[in-house]
Amino acid sequence: MSFESDVSRIEEIAQKLNKPETSLEESLSLFEEGMRLSKALEKTLTEAKRKVEVILSEDLTEAETTVLE
Amino acid sequence: MHELFQTELTVSELTSLIKRTLEEGFYGLKVTGEISNFRPSSTGHWFFTLKDTNSQISAVMFKGSTWKVDFTPCEGDKVTVTGNLDVYGARGTYQIKCESMEKAGQGEILALLEARKQRYASKGYFDASLKKPIPRQPQRVGVVTSATGAALQDILNVLNRRAPSLDVLVLPAVVQGESSAISIANRIMQANSLLLCDVLIVGRGGGSLEDLLPFSEEVVLEAMHQSEIPIISAVGHEIDWALSDYVADLRAPTPSAAAELVSQGYLDLRQNLKTLKAELKKAMEYRLTLATHQLGKLEARQIHTIIDNREYLLANASQNLINAGQQKIREFQARYQSAVRELQALSPLAILARGYATVQSESGTLIKSKDQATIGEVVRLTFIDGQRIAKIKE
Repeated sequence: MSFESDVSRIEEIAQKLNKPETSLEESLSLFEEGMRLSKALEKTLTEAKRKVEVILSEDLTEAETTVLE
Repeated sequence: MHELFQTELTVSELTSLIKRTLEEGFYGLKVTGEISNFRPSSTGHWFFTLKDTNSQISAVMFKGSTWKVDFTPCEGDKVTVTGNLDVYGARGTYQIKCESMEKAGQGEILALLEARKQRYASKGYFDASLKKPIPRQPQRVGVVTSATGAALQDILNVLNRRAPSLDVLVLPAVVQGESSAISIANRIMQANSLLLCDVLIVGRGGGSLEDLLPFSEEVVLEAMHQSEIPIISAVGHEIDWALSDYVADLRAPTPSAAAELVSQGYLDLRQNLKTLKAELKKAMEYRLTLATHQLGKLEARQIHTIIDNREYLLANASQNLINAGQQKIREFQARYQSAVRELQALSPLAILARGYATVQSESGTLIKSKDQATIGEVVRLTFIDGQRIAKIKE
């Protein structure tokens, strides 16, 4: 997932919506897409789904971890 | 003094003389000694003795001053105090009333740090050109700190509140005592050798000057300097500092503040999304207003159908849009009527009715000036009720 590309897609949609040559038909489906994208993105940003891990070994070349939360 | 030999004094008179002499003669003192017989009172004052190999002096530090001392003295601590001599007449004792206290040798530590700072500055370790940008929306943040300290909890709490989707990797380090500098440096190198995260917070909570020293040790500064991962230094409280603050790519005043810096991009993104959503809605509303215009004849019901079919989210706004559309139509009608009135006022017939006439050549061209009418030419005059032919005489 890339936040940046999603956000720029929404920005693009907003721009198109503001253009008079975009047909009503088109703008309705653009609007739907924009709302769907932004809601999904908002959900990703606000949902607590992080992983907190602790690294166990002191060895510089080993990354054994355990989950803290 | 001379008079004293001829005067008979009471104990109080003598005591008050001694008090004056000692207190006016011994102030602004700076004394170094070892703490012994340390007795903190329940009211917050400290009573103790300062001693060296041959002498000792009673000392007191009142609550108004003790809160400023960043450690609790222990038996045997070598400290430097500042203060004034104070005579307690009721007991006939004197003591030093302390205003500040620091561990002896702090001056030396500070001088050492300052020298080290100069050295690393001249080596270019603090150069602004070396500062790596902190990623705006990191995927995983590494935290080098004590696994049991409050700093880690602070960081986890702040991150959870502001960027709950951001993964965290804790690299536990010893942050106090002999082995701490090496432990911190190792964790920084480990994060780098495995590229475990895209930004690192290195720090600990507040403490005394000595407590924070590991973060000024050369191994830590070297590890930070070599780090490919951008580092935020977050040592102690706002007023504390360590040399790591200068080598790191960014200095945060506290561990919590470091977590805030790391999550700022996510917060901005959330705000940005909110604005974009509002913009989408506004643009769509406007489109619908336009459409309502164009489809002026469409029934409200038909528009509802369109909207429902699309599961359009602003369904309840549609009536407002139709109302707005109808309002626009009424405005247009009013403008049309006033335009008609204006046109009528400008009609040539209306002018003729007021008693004016037009002059045209035989071919029908309107004659607007005397130069257009040559002498002898035959012209046509139009009145409100008909025409006459005339001839230009002069």
